Amino acid sequence: MSLQYHLKLAPGDVAPYVLLPGDPGRVPLVASLWDEAGEVASNREYVTFTGTYRGVPISCTSTGIGCPSTAIAMEELARVGATTFVRIGTCGTLQDDVSNGDIAIFDSAARHDGTSRLYAPLEFPAVASHDVVEASIAAGEALGFRYHVGTTRTADTFYAMHGRPGSSFNDYWQSSWREHFEDLRRLNVLAAEMEASVIFVLARIWGLRAGGVAVVLDNVLRVSGESGSFDPERQFEHGGDEIEHLARMGSEIVRILAERDDAGETEKR
Amino acid sequence: MSLQYHVKLAPGDVAPTVLLPGDPGRVPVVASVWDEARELASNREYVTYTGVYRGVPISCTSTGIGAPSTAIALEELARVGATTFIRIGTCGSLQAHARVGDIAIFDSAIRADGASALYAPLEYPAVAHHEVVDAAIAAARGLEVPHHVGTTFSTDLFYVPEPGSAFGGYEQSAWRERYADIARTNAIAAEMETSVLLVLARIWGLRAGALALVSDAVDDTSESGEFVPEATFDVSAEPIDRLARVGCETARILDERDRDRSSY
Repeated sequence: MSLQYHLKLAPGDVAPYVLLPGDPGRVPLVASLWDEAGEVASNREYVTFTGTYRGVPISCTSTGIGCPSTAIAMEELARVGATTFVRIGTCGTLQDDVSNGDIAIFDSAARHDGTSRLYAPLEFPAVASHDVVEASIAAGEALGFRYHVGTTRTADTFYAMHGRPGSSFNDYWQSSWREHFEDLRRLNVLAAEMEASVIFVLARIWGLRAGGVAVVLDNVLRVSGESGSFDPERQFEHGGDEIEHLARMGSEIVRILAERDDAGETEKR
Repeated sequence: MSLQYHVKLAPGDVAPTVLLPGDPGRVPVVASVWDEARELASNREYVTYTGVYRGVPISCTSTGIGAPSTAIALEELARVGATTFIRIGTCGSLQAHARVGDIAIFDSAIRADGASALYAPLEYPAVAHHEVVDAAIAAARGLEVPHHVGTTFSTDLFYVPEPGSAFGGYEQSAWRERYADIARTNAIAAEMETSVLLVLARIWGLRAGALALVSDAVDDTSESGEFVPEATFDVSAEPIDRLARVGCETARILDERDRDRSSY
């Protein structure tokens, strides 16, 4: 088989377990935690490293931002042999008991994206694999991180849908945005990010496994404050440890899953 | 507080963990597995028994058929103190590997019901609490019951939308590939109550999960062109007893794990 069109990968280039950050720049950071790692491809926003983490074969491929590029990455990764996908990203939270730097473990996603509904009707649940959720909790416990399990709101926008004018350029705003985040908070939604829904839907319809964890960078209900102005460069907390925690979390999830798969303790779905 | 309007229960009448069959006639069957049990209320399609199963306080309330009556049961059960809901129902299989007599454990549901859409937009996932899913898997493994974990198609319709199943042969063209398309999404079964249960528990911050006995294969009906549930469904005493036991064991395992956690 020739190389996949966008990812430039062939069968054998990736391990069955693949970590999925959004940012291609984070792939080498993740791989730096492994025992061994090598770059196998780099094209557009897709960078792939494959290696070994504590004896377990592992890969990491960036998805780019948003569900369209993520769906392409999933389609091509599945074709070259990936069977378990673990998103490792960043997110905002909607809940006041969640602090910046905490880890959000996603068992499901609200499907406010365009791509996933081209594959399955909106009634279909974006749900993580139970095996991956349980391994994520075990990883959070083992690493001693503060974590929360819940639903993420996956949307195709970063700057739109905020409660007050100021998040989109030139104060563009729509009245239907006013209570969007408040309604999500009332629905007990834990976090907001831009990729999980399509990862969960695609893995489920293909009979593969997926899960996701993200480090919390801000509270989306509070980040804009009274002014409504939204300046992520200034307002997001990147203390330095967050991305390393995320990378360690993802790699440990894969190690625990591989161990449980080998022991026959998982449902393999 | 006076009695809840439909289920006729007051605080203290139910245990924190409630099993939810659809059929009121199955409530005493479920309770017969317990160490002790008594009927607390019976009104319309809502029958409630409360008792003790292997040392664990437990209740069982029927929901009636469909998401609307199930939503009412959940609203009123939550008001009188229920915090963990475990649906124990029957379902039709959409996949060849899920055979009649097996137990389907639902970690999620396709929201083809009306009631859940009135509470939360369709983008919102109908997802089970992972602790309930894990306890149900442990229960099925412990009882050595063949089981499958996956998504259920929760629909407001029993007699449609399969050509030949509605009265008089009534059909709509959009129905022709309806179940084939659902099966292509890897959903394992179809039933009528899980979606609203999972959505309501999630928005209220309570725990829910669902398991169901596979009582027929949905594609059986399309081949014959005729749908005769009395002839094709297996809901005899033995499989229903198996369903009740997996449900009760799920509740017991959850209680045991809750105690382990709180003793830290």
